[in-house]
Order: sequence, then C-alpha cells, then structure tokens
Amino acid sequence: MLKLFEHDKLDVNNLSPEQTAIEVKQLNLRFGEKRVLEDINMLIPKNQVTALIGQSGCGKSSLISCFNRMNDLLHGCEVSGQVIISGSDIYHRKQNVATLRTRVGMVFQKPNPFPMSIFENVSYGLKLQGVHERRKLDDAVEQALRETGLWKEVRDRLFESALTLSGGQQQRMVIARALALKPEILLLDEPTSALDPLATLHIEELLNQLKKQHTVIIVTHNMQQAARVSDYTAFIHEGKVIEYSDSDSLFTMPKRKQTESYITGRYG
Amino acid sequence: MAYIEINTHISVGFNKELEDLKNSVLTMGGLLEQQLNDTLHALKTNNAGLAEKVVINDKEINSMEIQIDEECMRIIARRHPTASDLRLIMTIAKATADIERMGDEIERVAKLISHSNVPDSETLKSSMLNIGEHVLEMLKDTLDAFARLDIMAAQKTYENDESIDAQYKDLLSITILEMQQHSDELENWLEVLWALRSFERIGDRCKNVCEYVIFLVEGSANRDI
Repeated sequence: MLKLFEHDKLDVNNLSPEQTAIEVKQLNLRFGEKRVLEDINMLIPKNQVTALIGQSGCGKSSLISCFNRMNDLLHGCEVSGQVIISGSDIYHRKQNVATLRTRVGMVFQKPNPFPMSIFENVSYGLKLQGVHERRKLDDAVEQALRETGLWKEVRDRLFESALTLSGGQQQRMVIARALALKPEILLLDEPTSALDPLATLHIEELLNQLKKQHTVIIVTHNMQQAARVSDYTAFIHEGKVIEYSDSDSLFTMPKRKQTESYITGRYG
Repeated sequence: MAYIEINTHISVGFNKELEDLKNSVLTMGGLLEQQLNDTLHALKTNNAGLAEKVVINDKEINSMEIQIDEECMRIIARRHPTASDLRLIMTIAKATADIERMGDEIERVAKLISHSNVPDSETLKSSMLNIGEHVLEMLKDTLDAFARLDIMAAQKTYENDESIDAQYKDLLSITILEMQQHSDELENWLEVLWALRSFERIGDRCKNVCEYVIFLVEGSANRDI
C-alpha cells in the first residue's frame, strides 16, 4: 500500500547510544525531607525536541535542572542515580560543573538580559571562557544571532542596550547567549510563558530549527505548546514519569489513563 | 469570502503538514479517477481482468482513507487548528470519506464486469458508458474545484448532478423495459440496476465534496444551495 505520510518515530525505551543525548538512570532527588523525583529512568533522543509536561510542582523543572546540575545551588538538595551525557555520569565527583553548563545550556521563564549591550550579552559566556579575540567573538555573536533569527533585526544596533529589545527578542537573545557556547543540549524552562502568542510561535519555530544542531528539552505547563513543538513528550506526576513516548502517540492515544485525564483536562 | 492561505504560518512544519494533507486527497482522488476510467474501459472492451484489477485496487483507496483520517486526527491533536485551517481539515476528513465511498461504488460496477454479468445488450452498454463518462467528467471537475479551492467551479459542478440524476431516471426506464424482455436473466439485470445506482451515487458524493469546498472557502455552512 502507498504510504501517504512519513513520520519518523523512535522508540524512546529502546534508543541506541548514538541516538541518545541523555540517559537518566534511577534518578532520585530530595530537598531535605521532601522527595521531589522518584526513580526516573529515561532515554532522551539526540537532535530532537523533548517536552516535559505536568502540573505545577510535579517535578518537571527539578528534573530539567538535574541535567546541568542547577539543583546543586539549592540548599538541602540531594541527588542519587545517574545522568549520563556523552558516556559519562555528570554527577561523578570529577565532573567539572562549569564545563558541564557550557555543554548543557539553559534558558529560563523570564528573559534575563544582562544590563549591557546585545553584543556583550551574547559574547558574555565566551569571554568568561577566556575568549577575547575580537574576530572570534564577532563570528560567534553573528552565528548565534543568525541561529535564533535575530541577526537581521539587531545587526545595526548590536552595541545598544539589550534592555531596549522587546520581550520576544530578549528571549531569543538569551537563547543566542546560550548558543554562543555551542552547547550539545539546550534546556528551556517555560521559555515562552512571559511572551505574547506571536513571539511564542517564533520561539517555537526557532526550537524546530535548533534541533538540527542541538538536543532541545523544554519544560512547559502549556500542553498545547508541548503538542506543537515537541517530537517526544514525558508526562510527570508527583515526581514520577507516568508516560513517555513520541508526541503523536501521547497526544492522540495515550496508554495510561492518568495521562489521558491530564491532557484532556479531567485531572485533579 | 474567507481568507485561505495554507503556506503562510510561522511554523514551516505546519505549512508542510497542511500542504501534504491537501496533496494526499488529490493523490487519492487521482487513483479514484483512474479506477473509474479503468472500469469504463473494462466495460467497453469486456475486459474482466481489468475489472478485477479495479476491485483489488479499491483496497488502496480504503488504506488511503484510513491514513488521511489518522493524519487529520494527528494534526488536530498537535496543532490545534483554527478558522480556515480547521475548516480545511474538517473538509478533508469528510471529503475522503466520500471519496472512499465512491471507490466502493466503482468496485460494485467493476465486480459486475469481472463476473461477466453484464447482459448482452448494446443499448444497455452504451447507456452505461454514457452515464459513466458523465460521472467521470463530474469527478474530474470536483477534484479540480477542490485542488484550486474554486467555489465557482464547485457551484457549477454541484449543479451538474441534476443532469446525472435525469440521465439515471431515463436509464432506469430503458432498463426496466429491457428487463421485461429478458426475464430469464433477471438476476443479472438486477445487478445492472445496482450498477446504475452506483453511478448516480458517485454523482451525489461529488456534489457533497463540492459543498465542502464551498463551506471551506465561504466559511459558512450553505447547505441549501
């Protein structure tokens, strides 16, 4: 029979090492007495967009923060299990956390431009890494801004304050700042919740472009956004992964009743 | 008139999905057109083998309907289409159901030919070919109207169904007269009646598709046209 539509889907329970960007093994996270994540086991596919959805407080932001050890900064945080990126456990005692955060970039809910020029914002990470050669910085800034589709909009005002950009532009610039360090993985924690619908669509389209070069993981409480933007989706509830599969299956025929109830607005 | 542009979304992926979906209906329609063409050719040349091929090919049309249905469901779940996008998807879901049924009607005629059950009457054969050609023309016009989202063409094709209905009525009278003269082959003649009815039903379903095109473009359910 003639196949009319092609949709490549990977089985997230059965990824080869070449297809895997992050392997999460028996991950547990506690904040003091509170158990936030419980026995998380996941294979996150490379060069795809994976969304984490769930109610507020379900642990999705905590999980994404484990992927570049942002939780280390929180008092009373205790992690067990493994998060394997490029063959090594990022929770190994010899892991250099600064290097890790270069490889695994993160963008937050509200655009957080530094009070300096657009150029200085985007080149900030590189300068911290000791890159000061002007030509290298110019190239890196241009490439990162091109990747986020912002170059044409800001190339004539690179030395103006980043605070003069619109909310959507600021968020794209923040993504460019992360991209300037050429991360393998880009984590986005509710990246569009402070933006208007049109700016949101631009960011979503950007993510679709970025996955060609990077693995993208997005946390969102907006199910419609997860459906639009992601190739794979994990539904998290009370610190556990309830269902994790390709987004087509999860949003048309979820296997677990709990997932069905959540995505159809019958939960709680 | 509503404003319809498939290729102008911010999401390039969504543009492609809608374009592919629309093209898939045309692929399905193209196969249906071929099926009807082959059936008429088989009738004209008494080619039971070709008619048999049409019967087998109907499975392809059924499979396409299922695939397009699933794709519509997938796009609704993933993209949450609104306005003209939503109407396009609803139109496609309904149109493919009609195209699939047209395939079944063609299959019925092809079965009659493949079983060599067409009574030996030149009058009947030429009448069947006549209405068949007329229906084929209407099918082509319907698919063209859909491809171009042309409501004028859809309206014109929609109205064309009346002449098929009239032709069908005339044919019924002729067939009943012939049946009276060939009462020994009554079973075969009943099959012929069904086949004629199938041609008439294809006209009705083309009319439905034209109605969906008008709904898609106009944005209102003008069911009384």
